[in-house]
Amino acid sequence: MEYVLLAVSAALVNNVILARFLGLCSFMGVTTRIDTAVGMGAACTFCITVSAMIDWAVEHYLLEPYGLGYLRTVTFILVIAASVQFTEAVVRKISPPLFQMLGIYLPLITTNCAVLGVCLLLVEGKMSFIGSTVFALASSIGYSLVMVLFAGLRERLVLADVPRLFAGPPIGFITASLLALSFMGFSGMSAH
Amino acid sequence: MRLAVDNPMNVETSTLVEGIARVVAVEDAQVWLVPEQSGSCGSCASSAACGSKGIGTVASRLEMRRFPMENNAGLVVGERVVVGIAQDSLVKASLTVYVLPLVIAFAAGLTAQSVYGSDLVTMISMAAGLILGFAGTWLGARRISAHGAMAPRLLRRATPGETCRID
Repeated sequence: MEYVLLAVSAALVNNVILARFLGLCSFMGVTTRIDTAVGMGAACTFCITVSAMIDWAVEHYLLEPYGLGYLRTVTFILVIAASVQFTEAVVRKISPPLFQMLGIYLPLITTNCAVLGVCLLLVEGKMSFIGSTVFALASSIGYSLVMVLFAGLRERLVLADVPRLFAGPPIGFITASLLALSFMGFSGMSAH
Repeated sequence: MRLAVDNPMNVETSTLVEGIARVVAVEDAQVWLVPEQSGSCGSCASSAACGSKGIGTVASRLEMRRFPMENNAGLVVGERVVVGIAQDSLVKASLTVYVLPLVIAFAAGLTAQSVYGSDLVTMISMAAGLILGFAGTWLGARRISAHGAMAPRLLRRATPGETCRID
């Protein structure tokens, strides 16, 4: 039950994009079509979870015992870049056609601040290994959910008769703010 | 021959994810294509100073994704064409590559946590689960490939100035 509450809190109440305002580049940049949003969301989910697992180990077996907390951000960035490169290499090796279809999203993740943000948040939360992994997975599912929702809205917006001055990014930002307001409805459900 | 490209060959385009690719080489009966950049990364005002360049430019990434296709339409080097992949294949591929290893890793991790209650054992179990998951991905990818679902299909020649929809 504890993990379920943690997951709901991370995915909906404290959504990475709409409550913590992380990963906004990809939120606006890769949500023009649902299929790209799904691809980016799945890739991010994997990379955030794997990075969080490695970062937890690095924090608890290296940084904390040796008093190297001031190197946390740099170390985490290195771990994230390495895990993304590793994922890319593995996907490329096990299935070149899959890499051709999905590989384009991976380099975009390295500089996605949502990945680093989630890793830093789980250190701040002082969670157990499984707790931090559940937190990372739920956060990234929340990220993917919002990406797909927003992509769907933007696909509909293309067909809408929007005033000329609001066409394009302006109506996108207005839609994003309304989506954020709707997610505020989950406030108060948090266990953390 | 040109007609074969300009007609979508009875392909149901509404369920396809379209992309634009450029012919970079012609070898016997097949051509090598490189997809054109379709995301926003690299096209923004700060692309020159973007940190993602440190791990390889978008252009070099696209070069790594070159793929072959049968040259039934007499394509020549430099031509731009519109290719399509079934939308459900893209979703299936995403689930196979990214979700399957995670599900197996989580199953292994939660089992280890409930049995041993040790972070170290859980961590090792999840790592083993990930490796097992990648093995599953390899099998799943082979199965999807066997149906030919991941092969891009040639839809038509791109018109001059035609780009992927990014607005």
